[in-house]
Amino acid sequence: MAEEQAESFLYKLEAVLEGGRLLTAVVLAKSDERAFITAENNILRHTVAPPVIKELSLVEKKPIGRQGVGYVIETSRFE
Amino acid sequence: MAERKQWKWADDPSLNKMELTKLEKDGLDVIETIVNTYSKEGFQSIESSDMDRFKWAGVYQQRPKDGHFMMRVRIPGGILNSEQARVLAKIAEDYGRDLVDVTTRQAVQFHWLTVESLADIFERLASVGLSSFEACGDCPRTIMGNPLAGIDPHEVLDTRPLVNQLEKFFLLNREFSNLPRKYKISISANIHNAAHAQINDLAFTPAKKTIEGEEVIGFHVWVGGGLSAKPHLAKKLDVFCRPEEVVKVAEGVTTLFRDFGYRQKRTHARLKFLVADWGAEKFKEELIHLVGELETQGEDLLKGWNGGYFYGIHEQQQKGLYYAGLSVPVGRMNAGELVELARLADEYGDGTIGTCNTQNVLIRNIPQDRVAAFQAEPIIVNRFKLKPNTFVGYAVSCTGTEYCNLAIVETKERMRSLALYLDDTVTLDTPLRIHMIGCPNSCGQRQIADIGLQGALVKTPAGMVEAFDIHVGGTLEEAQFNRKLNARITVDMLGPFLAQLITLYKEDRLDGEQYWRYVERVGLEKIQAQVDSILQTA
Repeated sequence: MAEEQAESFLYKLEAVLEGGRLLTAVVLAKSDERAFITAENNILRHTVAPPVIKELSLVEKKPIGRQGVGYVIETSRFE
Repeated sequence: MAERKQWKWADDPSLNKMELTKLEKDGLDVIETIVNTYSKEGFQSIESSDMDRFKWAGVYQQRPKDGHFMMRVRIPGGILNSEQARVLAKIAEDYGRDLVDVTTRQAVQFHWLTVESLADIFERLASVGLSSFEACGDCPRTIMGNPLAGIDPHEVLDTRPLVNQLEKFFLLNREFSNLPRKYKISISANIHNAAHAQINDLAFTPAKKTIEGEEVIGFHVWVGGGLSAKPHLAKKLDVFCRPEEVVKVAEGVTTLFRDFGYRQKRTHARLKFLVADWGAEKFKEELIHLVGELETQGEDLLKGWNGGYFYGIHEQQQKGLYYAGLSVPVGRMNAGELVELARLADEYGDGTIGTCNTQNVLIRNIPQDRVAAFQAEPIIVNRFKLKPNTFVGYAVSCTGTEYCNLAIVETKERMRSLALYLDDTVTLDTPLRIHMIGCPNSCGQRQIADIGLQGALVKTPAGMVEAFDIHVGGTLEEAQFNRKLNARITVDMLGPFLAQLITLYKEDRLDGEQYWRYVERVGLEKIQAQVDSILQTA
């Protein structure tokens, strides 16, 4: 086996923005720390005005060693 | 390598990658490769496809995947003898940095093993009739049972012979070494559901039926339970199974899983998905088609749920003999302590030790005139207590970030210290089961706890801080999983927060009312209001 590389994970993070807006970010990163940074960058790209993130939590990680890794994100009901 | 089987699903183009890996080389074949090659040539020689198959040897890479392994050893029915315990202790001492964990399925786990040590460990285990084989992987795992089998005043028959028959039938049986996913069996004749029937893929629980004028003691059969990220409670089939039919029924259920279970997506492969699609009635029909006619359901002999706890000194079936239920906080001990347990089993009991699915242990067959001396043993007074404090005694934890690749937070030591804090802070005279897990996969069985704590990482101005989501009201008594509250509590707040939440319950509950019953009675909204009021004043 080749020398062990730092393994990448698919992370799921939950963000609470000012005003109560909730976002879920799914990012690929090689460490928990990088996952937070990558999520913040993606949230920044997602919003027009720079968001005020009141809380950002990492809730799940999955190794990407296999095809098919992913998350299902429950969103609000479409009426 | 054994001759490769031609499975009926082998030509299915939609199989997932792991299925192809298993078809290419059966998981059990890795054992020979480990012994003959990897243990001699070292970690660098391991082929990546074989690393997946290591599970069939009962071995996983431990975090941070730097060449160390976790090994799980099967303890069928949760009963081992003192000689086996000493061998386990010596393995931990020689290879596993002195660490022994008792798991929530009654197995024993080691950490810090190197691949070079595995062949010797396999040999040592085999020398006393133990095995790590198929303790992990897509195969029948450790057979869970009643650790009091044979001595239990609350059992309707002795399940030890049945556990042994099931173990003998399934272990290393290549007919069943390639299942769609992990497969967990439990069998217990304890009327208090000691083996957690509803969260196993296949479970046998005590029942009786009058057949042709004769009362027969046997089992009801449950299928499709399991926790993980998508928990399901098992469904009871409309069958009554005589003791002599247990292996036949287990073979039938496992054959259905093997031949009809889903192999396209690993996240949709456990037996619970097949049971959910077929329903209990069709599953029963297919089972009877395989194994022949079975009696319909009889009288259920389950009465409530003991949570898998046996603390204290208790009379056995056998007059004049007692068993001792001991607390092992979060299931962790060192090799010397396991040797001490073996000594106690020999000196006071019949040389057998029970492992419980609550990560605890028990000593069996202590004569009445030896009980007082047993109770006075220093390790019983100071370490493995007969009457642990409420929170230490009912705390369960998964492995957490210390060794697990999927965990987000540390759990083992945190649960231990949290329980100590709560015992120092809150006085409670009824058990309150708190389970802590480090990821959504629920090895610590978060869903069935009175209070389930699931880890998350929160970013704060001070950096990353570990936190826990709170779930309340889980039980297998009137089986229901706990439900999530709207609260994510950082670790610095967790102890005081729980102390306040439990104090509110204590002040408001009916006499002796357990927490899950309290949650059910007052409703989740009230508990959420309690949480909100605690957080507002924090």
